[in-house]
Parts: sequence; C-alpha cells; structure tokens
Amino acid sequence: MTTSVVDAEPAARMDGAALRVVVVNGSPNQPSKTMGLVDVVLDMLGGMLPMETSRIDVYRLGPGFTGAIGRDDVTPEVEAALRLAEDADLLIAAAPVFRGTYPGMFKHFFDLVDQYALANKPVLLAATGGGDHHALVLEHALRPLFAFFQALTVPVAFFASAGDFDGTRLLNPRIYGRIEVGLADVADLLKARATSSPATPDA
Amino acid sequence: MAFEIGIMTFGEITADLTTGALPSPRQRVRETIEQAKAADEVGLDVFGVGEHHRSDFVGSAPAILLAAAAEQTKRIRLTSSVTVLSSEDPVRVWEQFATIDLLSAGRAEIIAGRGSYTESFPLFGYDLSDYADLFRENLDLLLKIREQNPLTWKGRFRAPLVDADIAPRADGATIPVWVGVGGSPASAVSTGRLGLPMALALLLGPITFHEQTVALYRESAAKAGHDVDALRISINAHGYVGRTSQEARDVMYPYFAKGIADNNHQRGKGLLLPRAAFDAQSSPGAGLLVGSPQEIIDKLLAYHELYGVSRAIMQMGFGGLPQKEHLEAIERLGTEVAPVVRREVAAREGRTA
Repeated sequence: MTTSVVDAEPAARMDGAALRVVVVNGSPNQPSKTMGLVDVVLDMLGGMLPMETSRIDVYRLGPGFTGAIGRDDVTPEVEAALRLAEDADLLIAAAPVFRGTYPGMFKHFFDLVDQYALANKPVLLAATGGGDHHALVLEHALRPLFAFFQALTVPVAFFASAGDFDGTRLLNPRIYGRIEVGLADVADLLKARATSSPATPDA
Repeated sequence: MAFEIGIMTFGEITADLTTGALPSPRQRVRETIEQAKAADEVGLDVFGVGEHHRSDFVGSAPAILLAAAAEQTKRIRLTSSVTVLSSEDPVRVWEQFATIDLLSAGRAEIIAGRGSYTESFPLFGYDLSDYADLFRENLDLLLKIREQNPLTWKGRFRAPLVDADIAPRADGATIPVWVGVGGSPASAVSTGRLGLPMALALLLGPITFHEQTVALYRESAAKAGHDVDALRISINAHGYVGRTSQEARDVMYPYFAKGIADNNHQRGKGLLLPRAAFDAQSSPGAGLLVGSPQEIIDKLLAYHELYGVSRAIMQMGFGGLPQKEHLEAIERLGTEVAPVVRREVAAREGRTA
C-alpha cells in the first residue's frame, strides 16, 4: 500500500460533511472501562460537530489478525479494519494498561498499519488503569507510538483510573472537565477535517 | 450538629504476639460484647462491627453480634461497619437491622459498603465482575425497602418483589443508612448524588487524603439538589488512645504492624510496617488516631475542620490488641477525649454541647 503524506492533507469541507471517527479499542473486556471513557469522549465530540463513528475491537479480530506476521497475511475482514483506521478523519486510540503499558494485541494492530497511513492524521489518546500511577502511559507509551507514525496527536490526552468508574460508567466530573477542554482545543481543526466521502482514491 | 465518637471492631482473632496462642472464637465474641458495653458505659455514641468471612475474624455476621450488644447496652448506637451489601440480600439485611432496631429501641444503623475483602462473593454465589452493579442495585433496593411497605420492585440480580410485605419496620421513623467510601472518586460522586451520609475509611496516609473525596461528594450532592449542610460525614480510622504519646505508640505499634502484615500483602506476602513508617503515620499531619488523649482531641478537631465530619469511629483492636488495653483505651476515649471534642465542636458551631 502506498498511501502518502499528501493523501492525508485536509480535505475541503463540504456542507453537511461528517467527521469519520474510528475507535481502536485495546480492551479485551465487554463492557470495559476503556470504552466507558471513550463513550464520554464520543458524546461530547458528537455535541460539537456532526460525526459518524466506527469501532475496531482488536481482541475480537480473531485468528486472521493474531496469526498475521505481516500485512500480506491478514484476512479480508482484518484488512478492512486496518483500512478503516487508516482512512479515519479522527482516530481514537484507547487502551487499558496491562503489565505496565498498552496490551500487546493493541500494538499488534498498529504493527500492521501502514507506516505512513497515519501521517498528519488527528489521533486522540485515551487510556485506563488500575490507579493514577499508570497515567503517564499516555505520554510515555502511547504518544511515542503515534510520534513514530508522524500523526497529528491531540495535545490533551485522557486517562481514568478504576476508582473513577462505577462499573464501566465514568463518574469523576474532573475527567469530564478535562475531556471538554481537550476537545475544545481541537474542535475547529476537526471541523475542517470532516469529510464523509472516501479520503483517498487508492484507500 | 452534635459530634459523635465511637469505636468499631472486626472481631479480630489474632495470635498472641509472645505466646503465638490464638484466642478462641467464643472468647472473642464475649470480648466484642464487653467492648460494646464498656463503650456504652463511658458515654461513647457508636459501636460498629465489620463483616469479614474468614477465620481470623469473628465478625462474619455483624447483625447477630449487634443484637447481642443491644441487650447489654442502653444508649449507644449500633452499626455495621460495614455491611458488604454487594453480596447480601437487601431484604434480609433490612429484616435483621430492623430487628436490632426493635431490640435496642431505635439504635440500629447500617453502613453499606462494597467491602475491601472479596471472600463473600464466592461464598454466596455472586460474581465479582458484577461488583459495582450489585452494589448499586442492592443499595437501591435497601433504600426502597426503608421508604415503603409493601413494596413492588424489579432488578437484575434477584427475584422481583410484588407487593411484598417486608417486616418488621423500624422502631422509630427510619434506620440511618450510611455509605462506606474508601476514597474512589466514583464512590464519592454516587453517594453524593443519593444524598446519603458518607462514612470515610482511612487506613494510612496523610490526614488530607480525603479532601478530593469530600469535595466531589459535596459537589455531586449539591448538583443533585440535596441540602449539603445537612449531609453527615464520618471518619473511620485506626488508632489507640494511650496514657501518654509514647505509651500509645508503643502499645499500638506491634499489633497494628501485625494486622497490616496479615491483611495488606505486597508481592503476595505480608509486609511488616516499619516503626519509622508507623511513627510518621502518627504525626499530626497523618491520619492515624494514636496518641495521648490530647493528641486524639487535636486530631479529631483537625478532621472536623478539614472535612466537616460530625462523627468519628475508631478501630483500636486491629492486629489483636489485648482486651485489657482495648478496654482502657475505650475508657480514655469516652471520658477524656469525647467530652472535650463535643464541647469544642459545639463552640466552633456556636452551640452549647
């Protein structure tokens, strides 16, 4: 695949265009706190601009994904999931902390993503952990991964601890506040990136 | 609001530090009731029994111990500390505490908690992954039972109730239901939304540990339309009232360190709390309620100032403190600490104690 930097340049915004949001979910649990956090992000984002959302659960992609060593090995369904992420207007990368960082399955997904497919693409980071001491997973693990991709990673990233949830529902109002601030920072940028038509002819 | 001071116990069954001998469960249930009686006689306001389903605690059925305590006491309020509501049937909880309320002429209370131990879930056939949903649903049912009888109710985890007659009713108008909160922001928010009194637990840490908990609780209560000034908060903490500062620390340390080692594992093993760490936890800026009567007075007043608490419940027997020392500390708490704290708080609030 030969997606270039140019393909991800801002597309002209058409009237009524929606932001195509793709969530890459790195949690094995259903429901999960990680998606509880992302639900709040999507709710607030949906209040700011028109959008359409899809979600990729990396733990549900199956043997066609887990058995693939390279991009050529994946099954058509997994290829479609990878394309979906690569073609998003906004990618939300969300993962729980396992053994000190994002799960291997989550990384495996991005190991299969084309090296330049995320260049200049807005990426929002979200993570959950057992306690606040995991919060820097955003800055020390997730952000460098998307720096490799030369993605346009949103400055404010979102973290919530187990104690911020009642089950999988986020209750801590301070995290709601942070999400509001983080999204307001990039609302104009995201409006400009909204496109409901396919982003690139070769994608 | 009058400041209440009390004690709580888990009915610890801990090996004697020098002989290694275990007290018998029979001895410990008698000692537990003796503590309630002593606390009542020295004028303390609350006696609590915690729920643990293990052989190193005799308190797996707090309601039964509280019923026995009701028979031996006259004035003191009797509370669970806590009832592990996630793995209980709220109908049964209500029936038991309403019965205690009748036996004690209106002195029963419930602190509903999630429990910091998880042994009760497999015992009663509950799935730990339903932890949060079970607590939310059971608390909802318990509050509805308290409000109305007969009751029609439907939930996810138990059979629906159709025009169910749940008896007996409370001796007086109601039975107070507090929510035990360990400090997670979500617990503070959900308790505030319900407008229920909050029992804060503090094991170790700075005295300011719960500042955010209390702020979130008050914010969410106000947002839900509850009268924030009428909401009660209590602090539940470990401690020991000694004759002097040094004696209090020397008596409490070896037992508390053992309790921590038995219950607070690191890498799957008990860690003996170093004396230096214990002494740091005993300083004015830390949460532990250990010291001379004057030190305890100062710290309870500090808690009052920080969080606006109107109740403090001390756990003094953690790690198997011998009964003799326990009873002496109860007496100091009731006669030397409580009257001063009540008077000082009343003065601060512009009332006469």
